Amino acid sequence: MQQSLPNRDVLDRALRTSWIVAVALAAALAPARPWDAAAILAGQLIAFLHFIFLRKIVKLFTEKRGAGALEVADRSGFAALPFLITAKVLVVYGGMFALLASRRFGYAPLCVGFALPFLTLFLKSIMLAFGAGPASLMRRAKGGIGSVGRAALLVAMLAAISSSAPGRAVAQEHAAGTHAAAEHAKESGAAELPNWLVILHDFNPGNPVISWLEKNQVIVFAWIAGLLFLFVSWLAMRNPKMVPGPFQNAVEWMVESMESVAGDLLGEKHIQRHFPIIGALFFYILTINMLGIIPGMKSATSSLDLTLALALITFLYVQFWGIRNLGILGYIDHLAGQPRDVTGWIMLPVMLPVHVLGELAKPVSLSCRLFGNIFGEDTLIVVFVGATALLLKAGLSLLAVPPMAGITALFMMLQTLTSIVQALIFSLLATVYLYMMLPHEEHGHEESHAEAQATH
Amino acid sequence: MLFPAALGIGLPLGIGFAAIGSGIGIGLLGKGAMEAMGRQPEILPKLQVAMIIGFGFAEALTIYAFVTMFFLQGRIG
Repeated sequence: MQQSLPNRDVLDRALRTSWIVAVALAAALAPARPWDAAAILAGQLIAFLHFIFLRKIVKLFTEKRGAGALEVADRSGFAALPFLITAKVLVVYGGMFALLASRRFGYAPLCVGFALPFLTLFLKSIMLAFGAGPASLMRRAKGGIGSVGRAALLVAMLAAISSSAPGRAVAQEHAAGTHAAAEHAKESGAAELPNWLVILHDFNPGNPVISWLEKNQVIVFAWIAGLLFLFVSWLAMRNPKMVPGPFQNAVEWMVESMESVAGDLLGEKHIQRHFPIIGALFFYILTINMLGIIPGMKSATSSLDLTLALALITFLYVQFWGIRNLGILGYIDHLAGQPRDVTGWIMLPVMLPVHVLGELAKPVSLSCRLFGNIFGEDTLIVVFVGATALLLKAGLSLLAVPPMAGITALFMMLQTLTSIVQALIFSLLATVYLYMMLPHEEHGHEESHAEAQATH
Repeated sequence: MLFPAALGIGLPLGIGFAAIGSGIGIGLLGKGAMEAMGRQPEILPKLQVAMIIGFGFAEALTIYAFVTMFFLQGRIG
């Protein structure tokens, strides 16, 4: 595979740089504070292992898709996949929590160690996007620049998604400390239906693990949805056939229809490149939203934390592609409203802030829209369930249950609709934002326009 | 008038007004899309996508009001 080579290259170089920086930092710290130096090295090692495992897993996935998609015999790779994922969770997250739990290591140097490889990879990707650095210039001359940035970005995004959640939780725990429970109770002013974590917490009030999970339930449910999503897609494509069975057919239909909807907007050429993130956003959000309908579960998108994270990922992706496609000067030109004549230059002091603010408003509106809709639906159902409970308490069970159950069922149907529509809106808006940043061919557009006029 | 009291009255009212605006916008969008679909049913899938995106942009205005409410909610006291 031609693409995996430059990918490994950029990742390897980023990791090498981060090792050099980490060792230099540790060496500088070692005489004064040996434990901090060890903590930086340990954090760096954990993050390094994380990337190594991630690369293996991603490679297994992509090679399956590319090479042996239609071969039944080649199953050895998938036996390795669950093993790899288990090993990654055990080694990386286990090691991370062990390090965080041990009192010997400081919190700040550990975080520095964790963050170093991510930071270097991020910087390398940005440098690639700007076309800086002699190596990337050489590769651009060879013409392979597209795949490098894409692969590096994919790895970086996967890493960011998979690593941000636990890290954030720990940071939150440290910051909030003992007041967390009181603040949490004050913060969630609106009532929520109890999910299984809350119930578990109520029955085991003293258990630290359960109370930690209960406090970070958004992350738990986001992980549940993500694993469900992974499991279903693995189940569907584990044994792909030329003539698909009903299950594979259903999944393929969903993916293909989403691709055609986004492809209408983005165009044939770009959709091939950008469908992975658009489709992943759609199906991930859909899974999370739908999870809230199951009793005892909660849709994690009813918290602003998760939706903001998703919106920021989209925002960074869009800006990255904007800079890559337009170049840094073209990007600034785009933000300035493309001044070509005198009026354009006079309007420049007005247009530039407006465009910058518009760009910044995108993640805000994306995240708040998803959060507001899902949270609103959840609250609506809670209100009706609460009313039913009140009526039951008053001894009016015969009067309360049938109409209330009917109303709640009706609103749950509405919730299903909202879940699908909101997931669709999120991913389609991401597509539109991306479309604004990509160079469009005016030719094809005009031709189709002329064709349409000719037919009339 | 006390600042918290003014906020307590103004915030819900503001969201209501914003909702009126985007409600009108969404209504007009839906009306236009329905009429177009009635006239030309074959462009339905393309139109639906555009309509949903338009809904998203119209809805965003209410969401800005919603965000403002979140910023100021803590100061109601």
